[in-house]
Amino acid sequence: MNGPRSFIFNSTVRLVFFLVNVVAVYLLLRGHNAPGGGFIAGLATAISLIFLSLAVGVEGMHRLLRFDPVLLAAAGLVLAAGAGMLPMFVNQPFLEHFQFHLSNVPVLGEVHAGTPLLFDVGVFLVVVGVTCKMIFVFAKSAQGLRALVAEEERRYSSPVEQPIESDAPPASQEAAARPKEERHAN
Amino acid sequence: MESNGILLLVAVVLPLLGAPLVALAGRGLGRRVGWLAFAFPLISAGTLLSLAARIGLPGSEVIEWPWIPTFGIQFSFLLDGLSLFFALVVSGVGVLIFFYANFYLDDHYEHHGRFYCYLTLFMAAMLGTVLANNLMLLFVFWELTGLASFLLIGFLHHEEKSRIGARQALLITGFTGLLMLAGVIMVWLVTGTYDLAVLLGSGLPLAEHRGWLTAAMVLLLLGAFGKSAQFPLQFWLPNAMAAPTPVSAYLHSATMVKLGVFLCARIFPLFVENGLWAPLLTLVAFTTMLLGAVLALLANDLKAILAFSTVSQLGYLIGYYGLGPAHGVEYDYLHILNHVFYKGCLFMVAGIVIHAAGVQDIRQLGGLRRRMPWLAGVCLIAAATMAGVPGTTGFLSKETMLKEIFEAMNGHGALGIYATTCVVLTSLAKVAFSFRFFANVFLGEESEAVKKNFHAPPPAILAPPLILAGGALLLGLWTGPLDALMRGLAVEGLHQSAPHLALWHGPTTELFVSLAVMLLGLGVFVLGQRTAWRWAAIPRRLRFDEYFETGIEHFSKFTKWLTRFLRADKPVDYLPVIIAFTLCVVGGFMGYALWPSVRESAGAWTWDALAPHPVRSFVAALIALSVVGVLILRRWTTQLISLSVAGFLTTFYYVLYRAPDLALTQILIEVVTLFLILILLGRFPRSSELGEIIHRPSLARRRLNVVLSLGVGILMTTFILWFNAVPHPDRIGRFFTERTVELAEGRNAVNTILVDFRGFDTLGEITVLVIAMLGGLGLLMRYKRTPEEYQEGPMGPPGLGIKHSERREEP
Repeated sequence: MNGPRSFIFNSTVRLVFFLVNVVAVYLLLRGHNAPGGGFIAGLATAISLIFLSLAVGVEGMHRLLRFDPVLLAAAGLVLAAGAGMLPMFVNQPFLEHFQFHLSNVPVLGEVHAGTPLLFDVGVFLVVVGVTCKMIFVFAKSAQGLRALVAEEERRYSSPVEQPIESDAPPASQEAAARPKEERHAN
Repeated sequence: MESNGILLLVAVVLPLLGAPLVALAGRGLGRRVGWLAFAFPLISAGTLLSLAARIGLPGSEVIEWPWIPTFGIQFSFLLDGLSLFFALVVSGVGVLIFFYANFYLDDHYEHHGRFYCYLTLFMAAMLGTVLANNLMLLFVFWELTGLASFLLIGFLHHEEKSRIGARQALLITGFTGLLMLAGVIMVWLVTGTYDLAVLLGSGLPLAEHRGWLTAAMVLLLLGAFGKSAQFPLQFWLPNAMAAPTPVSAYLHSATMVKLGVFLCARIFPLFVENGLWAPLLTLVAFTTMLLGAVLALLANDLKAILAFSTVSQLGYLIGYYGLGPAHGVEYDYLHILNHVFYKGCLFMVAGIVIHAAGVQDIRQLGGLRRRMPWLAGVCLIAAATMAGVPGTTGFLSKETMLKEIFEAMNGHGALGIYATTCVVLTSLAKVAFSFRFFANVFLGEESEAVKKNFHAPPPAILAPPLILAGGALLLGLWTGPLDALMRGLAVEGLHQSAPHLALWHGPTTELFVSLAVMLLGLGVFVLGQRTAWRWAAIPRRLRFDEYFETGIEHFSKFTKWLTRFLRADKPVDYLPVIIAFTLCVVGGFMGYALWPSVRESAGAWTWDALAPHPVRSFVAALIALSVVGVLILRRWTTQLISLSVAGFLTTFYYVLYRAPDLALTQILIEVVTLFLILILLGRFPRSSELGEIIHRPSLARRRLNVVLSLGVGILMTTFILWFNAVPHPDRIGRFFTERTVELAEGRNAVNTILVDFRGFDTLGEITVLVIAMLGGLGLLMRYKRTPEEYQEGPMGPPGLGIKHSERREEP
């Protein structure tokens, strides 16, 4: 996928990206009453982002997005759990949902929405974040690029440990002895 | 009710929620954070006192909030004499310990915020445990205390001793806690309630479910034994002394280890009728008592002496409930309070001595009375209380203890005689090591080690032990408040009214035995001094922890062996195992369950059930065709296209069954999967046409694969035929489709199931999704952090960008 880029593909993707996302938001909003919902919308948005990554190159996505998709997933989880906890403040059980019907909203007219939508947005964000992150990481490592940018490496890496089956001395001295560049290299 | 509930929340939940804030504040405040944390026990003690005044003892009150009502689990608290007594002890000693820790943990220590966070968390967990009314809530808090204790014992985790001690404590208290959970669930299965107040009110159906309830009792008591370090699990407590001294004084003498005693007291009215109650408690507890006392006599480390004497006293406290008459015990509060007074005090004294002299081996100490006269006085009172000298609460406790044990000897026969022997021998040893503790630390000549290391402690650190020693002395001389306390806090079913305590009961048997024990104990002490305690050393065989450590080591060896044995180099190799196992279990079960009905309906069954629907069969045939394509095509690109065609055709199948949501999901998933496979296949070996050698599996392996695949196909086909053949009267799907508008106000039943009916499942699923992603990222990482980088944490150096000024130097 890091072969020659096609101008036609790149231009089309920019249009398709917005079209897919419009559909995704539509699916998300109508999910409670018609086919759609957070999971489906999340997948659609993830696909649009993957398309975009095909056009601009997966290594460019970090520059374009400016944040780690994991943050999206985390935010989604917090939002979903928060939407569940909200009713507890008014002495209702966890994950109790409420519906509101608003009339005379400017532009939109009548709006019928509720806390399930918040929860669904949480699901949406989790699905987008997880799918994009995994696909991007796989794509980057399959293309021989560094899978994560420097600050993400610090976040997800584990300490140097000795493998469970060897009874060799702790790896810390070994690791310290090795030059730093080598450890960073792929 | 309402205001009592708020007071209770302030006492228990405020420290629970405040604990993380203490850790955060510790980053900026350093050691001064201790004074912030000091507010929590003060607040808890104050609110508990006012609660005790409000509920009108000896009455009781249940305060309840729903938690998981479906399972009968409530956030429910029982306020009665017993729980308030323990809660007041916990928060009262907490006040003293937090105060003491502020002077003890000086700038030589680091991570003050973390320390006080754990300590506050521990106090909250303790209060929750003793006040809990729901057995499940009790279990949750019970394990939380174990967790906090683990963190506190391992606080100095750069020392191996601390790590081992913490691990032992966690494994033993955690595991026995799980046994207790089993006991709790068994009680629930019999009675259908977790509610202690209800259980205590109505009693247990001992007659109908004798065996079952006996098992539950044994499991509950095992939980208590583990927590209170009873024989043969007593070894974790001395090893837990690797914690800083305030922790030892608080957790491992005054409060946490008393949870076992508390549990015995709580379930005393429920199980005392059981035939196994008295023998089990008596044998285990009095053996612990004697063993602890002997080991305390043989120990040389200041904290070890106190630790083993704690084990010994815990044995007595638990055994006390074992021998107690069925209609109620009398003096348990006196014994517990007495132990809190002297043991808390002695631990703090030991902490000050260790802090000031830098030595904790009693053989290298001595002559400290000239340097710390006040401390010597406090220690004298506390040691006298431990020995049971008249004029202290220790004397009262010992008198009543002997009196009751003689009564029990009449009632319990051989058990009583065993208990009496243990109690008398223990008292003797106790007198000896009490005198030794005082004399060898404060009297005699100052040793070289002390001269070299001594630095004076801050005077204020003396206040907490002074208060405890003062309490022991005052209440020992003036018994009125003790009487009032025992009367006021008495609990129905557990206590019977006790005769008034007095300093002088006249020339009774107990007095003479007590005198004799005192003299003999002094004799042992003098003998010890003459021989300079050369014989005092603990045989390792008697400490049991070696066996435990060996067991742990062998277990880890076994798991390594098992891992190596089951490991395959290629993930593909796991597949036949998993599939074969599924075939055997699921297929075997289905054959077993289905065979009778299949034989029965063999005649009635016709091929009509399989009558093909034209469109569906067409689609199914197309799917089958594309799957065959995957099998016979040679290039991976064409195979992949074939596989995707099968996937998209499945979508069409969903459309035929009018499931738009499923169809949408299937299309999108198919697209994402296709991307994923394309991305990854770019890295795979090229096909044989392009000249790369591919290792084909052997013929036998391929045949096995064919057999397994056919097996799975047959299994699934049978499954589907069976499910369609048996008409189900009330499918759950109908409930959802019918009630979705009414209950969830949404017309898309699939979505309302996901976000509303089964919202909790969805929450769990997205959580798993995130966890799986993080795990995948961890596995894919090629970069490992060095220990130095790791210590700095995932986000860089700790703190709000402020570098820690000093770092404890690694030994």
